[in-house]
Amino acid sequence: MTKSKTLTGGALLFEVLQEHGVHHVFGYPGGAIMPIYDALYDSDVKHFLCRHEQGAAFSAVGYARAAGTVGVCLATSGPGATNLITGLADALADSIPVVAITGQVPMAAMGSDAFQEIDIFGLSLACTKHSFQVTDINELEKVLHQAFEIALEGRHGPVLVDIPKDIQLAEVTQRLDKLSHLKNKVKLPLADISKALDLLTHAKQPILYVGGGVGMANAVEEVRDFADKTGMPSVSTLKGLGAINPDNENHLGMLGMHGTKTANLAVQESDLLVVVGARFDDRVTGKLDEFAPNAKVIHFDIDTAEINKRRDADAAILGDLKGNLPLLTTELDIADWQQKLQQMNTDFAWRYDHPGDNIFAPAVLKTVSDLMPSNTCVTTDVGQHQMWAAQHMTFDDPSNFLTSGGMGTMGFGLPAAIGAQISRPHDTVIAVSGDGSIMMNVQELATIKRYQIPVKVVLIDNAKLGMVRQWQDLFFEGRLSETDLSDNPDFVMLAKAFDIKSQLITKKSEVKAAVEEMLDHDGPYLLQVKIDAAENVWPLVPPNTANDKMMESV
Amino acid sequence: MSAMTLNKYQLIIMADDKQVVLERILQVTRYRGFLINGMNAEVNTGNNVATITMSVSSERPISLLIDQINKLIDIKGVKVDNSDVQIKQHSA
Repeated sequence: MTKSKTLTGGALLFEVLQEHGVHHVFGYPGGAIMPIYDALYDSDVKHFLCRHEQGAAFSAVGYARAAGTVGVCLATSGPGATNLITGLADALADSIPVVAITGQVPMAAMGSDAFQEIDIFGLSLACTKHSFQVTDINELEKVLHQAFEIALEGRHGPVLVDIPKDIQLAEVTQRLDKLSHLKNKVKLPLADISKALDLLTHAKQPILYVGGGVGMANAVEEVRDFADKTGMPSVSTLKGLGAINPDNENHLGMLGMHGTKTANLAVQESDLLVVVGARFDDRVTGKLDEFAPNAKVIHFDIDTAEINKRRDADAAILGDLKGNLPLLTTELDIADWQQKLQQMNTDFAWRYDHPGDNIFAPAVLKTVSDLMPSNTCVTTDVGQHQMWAAQHMTFDDPSNFLTSGGMGTMGFGLPAAIGAQISRPHDTVIAVSGDGSIMMNVQELATIKRYQIPVKVVLIDNAKLGMVRQWQDLFFEGRLSETDLSDNPDFVMLAKAFDIKSQLITKKSEVKAAVEEMLDHDGPYLLQVKIDAAENVWPLVPPNTANDKMMESV
Repeated sequence: MSAMTLNKYQLIIMADDKQVVLERILQVTRYRGFLINGMNAEVNTGNNVATITMSVSSERPISLLIDQINKLIDIKGVKVDNSDVQIKQHSA
């Protein structure tokens, strides 16, 4: 340790954040984190006051995902800390690098059921990649460096650092010479390259199965190059959307529960799956025993624990996808397979010629997608609108489609869009939400107002918890239990209360002009789109069913 | 009455002797579907290395648990001491 400069723990936090390139943080102050907020007063780090700690956590997630960096959020002890938990769980499920700083009651009060005391360190075990509680001021700097290193090392994830109030106030005079480094836990990589090459060259009907790990491995270019050179037909998971070039004629769209008919049928018929940064999630596979029943599997992943977890790999290639995938690039003789799937893509293409004057949600989202500028970042909430966005919008990079995949958290979209817009101030950011989801973190409209964040909100409004209603209709004999939201607030008036320009449209003839007005508006905008409450998301693979047994209508 | 075959394993875990390392191991073990039949832990000894011996049983392959425990930051290594013991439990 060297350097003699006296700093409080709070001031040291912001120095370390800046050393890690952090310029923006999201948070909410309170009693046990006041020394940190006092240090913030003198810091160059820009703080965004969210209106709920969950909003702060999701803004940090959106920031991280849109910019490919670490997102940082702050909260006080007790309820402030517990309010972060859903955001941290979301970040863990989707492998997002976030560092969460929580204040804690002074050490002498810990364990005494003090005011606003909760064991956030204990609560964090199931919803973070790792967590720390700092009980020695001389450990604080090392812990903070480790938090960033752990968040970004291997499979990304959230890290929580709990700092008691007296540690925030304590002074430290010595700084570390250099950053600490984690021990290298990476085992000798599994690299069945020759076996994989053999499987690949013998395959007649291979499919490239693209997951969210591609974007996080910064391997979009390598995956696109592999897809182009091999000509292999590809499918994407929800989080993998954007990884394959939208112009690739062999891309079949999303697979899984609401995947395209072509993607699901192709996977079921395939004789080889080349899996890149994906994990055979249950929403992807449907009935696991019947998923791609004749396919061998080549599995690329950074996480050993994903290999053979839900589907055995015939060849496993563990480690950096960016370096490993090019080793498998080879020309394939699969022209018949390509032509068959291209024809299916044509035969089963989406249709937007919905009868009547009412607005067809897929057509709205297709219009938004067609009109939005290049490099627009789209966030979603969770439900029908999320699946329609995944099906009918086109993304040119995984960092341009931010959706809560693993956790499926309603309330994600609005604060994630705020974080994305802060990280990419020159790009358009659109939050596609539903009338159920937006109310989960509606208070973040105040954050938009305070900082005049020019997020565009496309609110798909069916006055229902639409996806649950759809399942109640299909699988619970139409017994519509607690899914009616016909007493929603007036969303246009609500937006106006936050000085956000807004408009309601109810007819398909209004769609194009309204979307253009929204996109042309300089500031934040809320476009409420009234749709038919009975509209369903199709196709749908029913639960515990093979993906080729999808429903396409009632 | 259905028969459920549980495989029983003994794990030896070496870890950095950090606070909550035991809680982390217990949480992962339960969450990943393994019953803990017994445990012996030498922690907070000042030696920087904790040694934990744990007997677990599950229908699931032990590799699933080993991979997940190995992912914990404080873990130095995990090995299976025996892998051929099977116990049968009957449930109505």
